Amino acid sequence: MTAQQVSTYAGRIAVVTGTRTGLGKSLAEHLLANGAKVVGMSRGAPTISTPAYSHQRVDVGDDDQVRSAFILVGREHKRLDILINSAAVLTSIHALVMPAARAEEMVRTNFLGVFFTAREAAKLMRRQRYGRIVNIGSMASTLEPVGDSVYAATKAASMTLTGVLAKEFAGYGITVNTVAVSALDTEMLRKLPRERVDEVVASLLIARIATTEDVLNVVDFFVSPSSSYITAQTIFLGGVHG
Amino acid sequence: MLSNEIVESVIFRAIEALNAERALADRIVPTVDTGLFGTDATLDSLEFVSVITDVETTLNLEHGLEISLADDHAMSRPESPYTSVATLRDYITELADER
Repeated sequence: MTAQQVSTYAGRIAVVTGTRTGLGKSLAEHLLANGAKVVGMSRGAPTISTPAYSHQRVDVGDDDQVRSAFILVGREHKRLDILINSAAVLTSIHALVMPAARAEEMVRTNFLGVFFTAREAAKLMRRQRYGRIVNIGSMASTLEPVGDSVYAATKAASMTLTGVLAKEFAGYGITVNTVAVSALDTEMLRKLPRERVDEVVASLLIARIATTEDVLNVVDFFVSPSSSYITAQTIFLGGVHG
Repeated sequence: MLSNEIVESVIFRAIEALNAERALADRIVPTVDTGLFGTDATLDSLEFVSVITDVETTLNLEHGLEISLADDHAMSRPESPYTSVATLRDYITELADER
């Protein structure tokens, strides 16, 4: 932990989605370790237990659930400084055999979930005229891997959303940015055939699997109070071209 | 249950908050007839969004009234609830009564 990280997060109220496992959980733990109070949101039961962490079981793709969850955040904490949208689902399968239910679930969680949470977060952030929204994107949005038709499209849509929301929220002191993650060793990645992952990693300018620290580094930058002039940006890890 | 006076005061407060960004000569003194949206609107489109969001958030956080003022129900009514302070007040009290 650095002094810069502590000053970025100490005393801040943050919502992190997708905190049950994987990157979302790591992000929440990182914020907690640096002094933030974190409200985690995921469909499942909490997997983090510490006084500064509270958990709401929320399907981010359900507008009513998201709305109620953020009202609770506002009532309990009176403010919100940071939203990190990490919740995502992936079904990687050839488009010809993609079940509609899986496609719809990806659209709801990966795209509408980002919209619903950002909208409700911004309602709280604008009251203090300060906020940082970071969306976790994916290299799939530009690499367009076979099998990821809907997943890649939802991540591309979420990047477009970042740009429009950044414009709409700029006057309220709220920044909106995306860190587009390359292959990261998570439960999601382990669902993919190893040879496909190796092929994609080999194509990166920096040909290795990403680490959680690579992501946290960019999140720290976007969330820092010093980054008030940084918005509507997407940073790709690993040298992927946007 | 929220009285008309309380709801009006929440709406007035949201409109008055806009005055900080307006020139002295353009400041709004809200009344129940102040136009919010449409041909007689006193607010521009961004100010309208601010007022609706402020009113909704204040009702949610300070008065425990969990409502949405920008859902399909509101937008599809034959008579817009957003026309004036009075129509918005009436719509909010109607929603509150349904709870």
